[in-house]
Amino acid sequence: MAGLRQVSPGPVRPIGPGVVRVGVGLAVAFALLAAGAGYWQVFEAAPLTSRPDNPAAVAAARGAVRGRILDRSGTVLATSRRDGNGEPYRVYTDPAMSPVLGYASARFGTAGLERAFDTELIGLTRPDPVRELLKKFDPAPYDPQALQLSLSLELQRAAVAGLGSDPGAVVMLDPRTGEVLAMASTPTFDASAIADPATAQGAFASLQGDGRHPLLDRAVQGQYVPGSVFKIVTAIAGLGSGAITPSTTYPEQPAAEAKGLLVDGFRVQDGHHPSSGSRALDLVGATEVSCNIWYALTGLKVGGTQLAAWAARLGFGAPIPFDLPTSASQVTNGGGSFGGGFADAIELASASYGQGETLVTPLQMALVAAAIANRGVIMKPYLVTSFTGSSGSSRMVVPEAWRTVLTGEQAAAIATAMTRAVESRDGQAFTAGARVPGMQVAGKSGTAQLGGTGEPNSWFIGYAPADHPQVAIAVIVEHGGRGGERAAPLAGQLLRTFFSGLKP
Amino acid sequence: MIHPRPRWTESRLLVLAGLTLTVGWLSLREGARSRVGSAPDTLVDPTPLVVFLGCLVVVHLALVLAGRRTDQVLLPTMAILAGIGLLLMERLPQGLVQQSIAGRTLGLATMQMVWLGIAFAIVLGFAVFVRSDRWLRLYKYSWALAGIGLLLLVFVIGRDVNGARLVLQVGPVAGQPSEALKVILVVFLAGYLSENRDLLAGQSMSLGPLRLPPVPYLLPMAVMWAIALGIVVMQRDLGAALLFFAVFLLMLYVATARWSYVVLGMGLFVAGGALMYQLFDHVRTRVDIWINPFVDASGSGYQVVQALYAFGRGGILGTGLGAGLPMVGGRLPIPALHTDFPLAALGEELGLIGILAILGLYLVLVERGLRIAAASLDEFRALLATGLSLVIGVQALIIAAGNLKLVPLTGITLPFISYGGSSMLTNAVVVGLLLVLSDRGVEPPPPPGRARRGLAWLPGRRD
Amino acid sequence: MDGTLATLWLLRILFLGLLYLFLFAVVRTLLRDLRSAARQPGTELGRLVVLESPAGDPPVGRVFPLDAVTTLGRGVNNTIAIEDSFASADHAVLTFRGRAWYVEDVGSTNGTYLNGGRIAGASQLGFGDELTVGQARFRLERGRS
Repeated sequence: MAGLRQVSPGPVRPIGPGVVRVGVGLAVAFALLAAGAGYWQVFEAAPLTSRPDNPAAVAAARGAVRGRILDRSGTVLATSRRDGNGEPYRVYTDPAMSPVLGYASARFGTAGLERAFDTELIGLTRPDPVRELLKKFDPAPYDPQALQLSLSLELQRAAVAGLGSDPGAVVMLDPRTGEVLAMASTPTFDASAIADPATAQGAFASLQGDGRHPLLDRAVQGQYVPGSVFKIVTAIAGLGSGAITPSTTYPEQPAAEAKGLLVDGFRVQDGHHPSSGSRALDLVGATEVSCNIWYALTGLKVGGTQLAAWAARLGFGAPIPFDLPTSASQVTNGGGSFGGGFADAIELASASYGQGETLVTPLQMALVAAAIANRGVIMKPYLVTSFTGSSGSSRMVVPEAWRTVLTGEQAAAIATAMTRAVESRDGQAFTAGARVPGMQVAGKSGTAQLGGTGEPNSWFIGYAPADHPQVAIAVIVEHGGRGGERAAPLAGQLLRTFFSGLKP
Repeated sequence: MIHPRPRWTESRLLVLAGLTLTVGWLSLREGARSRVGSAPDTLVDPTPLVVFLGCLVVVHLALVLAGRRTDQVLLPTMAILAGIGLLLMERLPQGLVQQSIAGRTLGLATMQMVWLGIAFAIVLGFAVFVRSDRWLRLYKYSWALAGIGLLLLVFVIGRDVNGARLVLQVGPVAGQPSEALKVILVVFLAGYLSENRDLLAGQSMSLGPLRLPPVPYLLPMAVMWAIALGIVVMQRDLGAALLFFAVFLLMLYVATARWSYVVLGMGLFVAGGALMYQLFDHVRTRVDIWINPFVDASGSGYQVVQALYAFGRGGILGTGLGAGLPMVGGRLPIPALHTDFPLAALGEELGLIGILAILGLYLVLVERGLRIAAASLDEFRALLATGLSLVIGVQALIIAAGNLKLVPLTGITLPFISYGGSSMLTNAVVVGLLLVLSDRGVEPPPPPGRARRGLAWLPGRRD
Repeated sequence: MDGTLATLWLLRILFLGLLYLFLFAVVRTLLRDLRSAARQPGTELGRLVVLESPAGDPPVGRVFPLDAVTTLGRGVNNTIAIEDSFASADHAVLTFRGRAWYVEDVGSTNGTYLNGGRIAGASQLGFGDELTVGQARFRLERGRS
């Protein structure tokens, strides 16, 4: 019960112990400070110094002779020269490499790989940790490192030449390791013109004003409607979630070929497939003839939530971890309540065959092909294979697995389907030109309808050889027409170049 | 009057300190010589350091000749910290401070040395000439009122600096009265608490199992403190407000040994902090950039981000005195480096090793003060010594933690190292008073049991 | 590593080293102080021996070690509580100031007596002097260590 007692003095405890406790408390507080200092000065020291707005980095960049950049065979792609005042500037060998390499200009800053590895190229950090610790005692403050890339200049040139004057992108990578062999984006630009102080101003202004956006790296940042190449994603979601098996068929599918499939009042159209007639298609058959109706039904069976979830496992919905900044691919704009962010069954069905609101980057689709090629395991893609300091000390980059999306068995089923899509007679109606003599190629073409009056995007994804894949490829030609018109033949040409260049 | 007594420990420590600082100056000069394209003021003038060492000799000799039996560690520790600060000021561009006195313009290091000279004079004055604490003990209410009056004066006729009215300008010199208020408040609290500590430790109400503190006895103290806090908050000197708050709570705890005050205080702090976050924009900004400064790394978070960069560039060994702090567009990378962020500069140039040593030195200073408190002959002195030690220790903690992004940044100075006249002089008063309190020859305290002045009207003990 | 760089780093390391030397010297002084304080745990400034105590509490012969300030009286909060109806709640205070002992009556009813004489104000007392509070008599003695 509350009561107001007369103020009774409390026990007069001696002051001593209180003082001691305060002293201990302060000592603990100072110890925490020391730990904080240790955190910033040891633990976070390197990340802090690598940030581009760190004055150390800015001061270094101004007078730095940057390290060279080489392709996989040692050909120089970027090097530094000195101008009349003795100031170093960058020179690039081939505009085919520009979207990947970017540029380093005193005036316009950095882009691409030059920006991503700015600190290493300037040499603010040393390649190996021991030298990093001892660098204070080194009279030369910076040790510019040379980067060796996994890219092949030859393949890159072939890709750019093949794309020609059409905007588009090509990504070729090794599905076993994640190394990127070619990453072309057209239209490309002349990075040397930007880096050279004499021509920088004009070159940059004209590039920025160019309506075709040459400075955009379409391979990693271009977002396109995928069309039928997305069906591989649907297949992965179907098998992975257990909604379908490779032998799943739909009784209503053959009839719907003629009249289209009615989904909530929307009619899914499909080209009538003369070869399949009234046969109900399974996974392999539907992939061979690129049947929209089969895939729409599969997508509806998988459901929006699962489709989105499996796409996320492949890398959709977030930027892909890569040496360059990437844009995220999406299966839908989101916000819908139909599960997985889809608005309704119509959108889900459309997305299942690569229309609807789906948008993909070429890198993402190359990884989809790589997933099947590598038995369901996606390796982390990367461009830089090694860093070498001027004294010869170097650091190699090791391949690492990134995602496991399917079991080997499930991947094999889709692999069979993709092989048939290129090698069989029915498949070749879509993918003619993608074949390589002496081996089997697996792949899928895509014709992405864009609405309006423009030509659709021409797509092809695939890998070769089908039995022991060494390379995965994704090609998109903007407004290139059907998949088999531009993308598939270009892919085939590049695959042939790749295999002819391989040493036995 | 002259009664020489040797002070060997102090002599040894001062010699060591002097040697350390001389080597530091040498490394600064060598670094300046070997550097190309550095700040234009690379003439590392030996004069401030020589004058500094001279001051140390003078103070030490005065203490020896006057035969004072005071603590022998305080002066050398203060000296080495002040010396490091002086070396830092020598290393920075001298144009950061331009004070005109008698027609001449004095730069950063020179002004720091001027303030240090006055500071040492204050320490000498206290340690040699102050032989009694009566003037502090008896006039506590007068002191408190004088302090509040000073604050109000600043509020009314003071000068605005960066949106905070902190500064009082008298002739050519400007000072921050909130600094002096720290010491005045501690003196008042020590006096009040020592007289009333048993009542404050008692209880006035019981609510079931809870024992509540006696509010009537808390009131005069709380009122004084709240006024001070309010004015300080209105002047946007949040660091000083936090300092007052913490010192008040800790002194209350030491006096009464009751955890409930601390818990209550921390609760009030959290509540008050949340309220201020909602009400005041500048508080919100400070807290936001504390949580993630990189979000606006070139805008509001710039200072904090650059300070962290400086720590990172320092690493374990540092870049060496004078070799760090890469210029950005011809200016220092961290704004207000000489007042608010000297620890970041030292972190970059002396590395983690240097920072640990400096933190250790502050801890030594504080622990020494607390030891003086524990060995005091009566409670007033014990509380006064505790409060004074806390003033230095908690202030160093707050600003160091702010530099390291462990707490939001506040605009208070690092004792003895930062540039700032009022701060330097106030801390000199603190050290001087601590020396007086540690003096075994000072007039002993009066016996207890006197009537409680001014509180006779409150319900007291029944006899 | 060339010559100038070597001297530079030598100086820098030397500076940091000396800084730590200072820190260690200070810490050593601190520890030495602490140890010497601990080494004399029983050092007393003085002791008060109970000679007479008719009320029984404190018992005759009891020895109280004295701090710088000691209060005597009937109240429980006194350093030496005297269970005697002739003693006031707050009776007297015994202090050691600088070099000498002082006793002062803090307003008791029956007064405080030093060696038989009633004291007025603060009176100095030495070792061997006797103090009477109420009916209890004490003697001040030198402290033992």
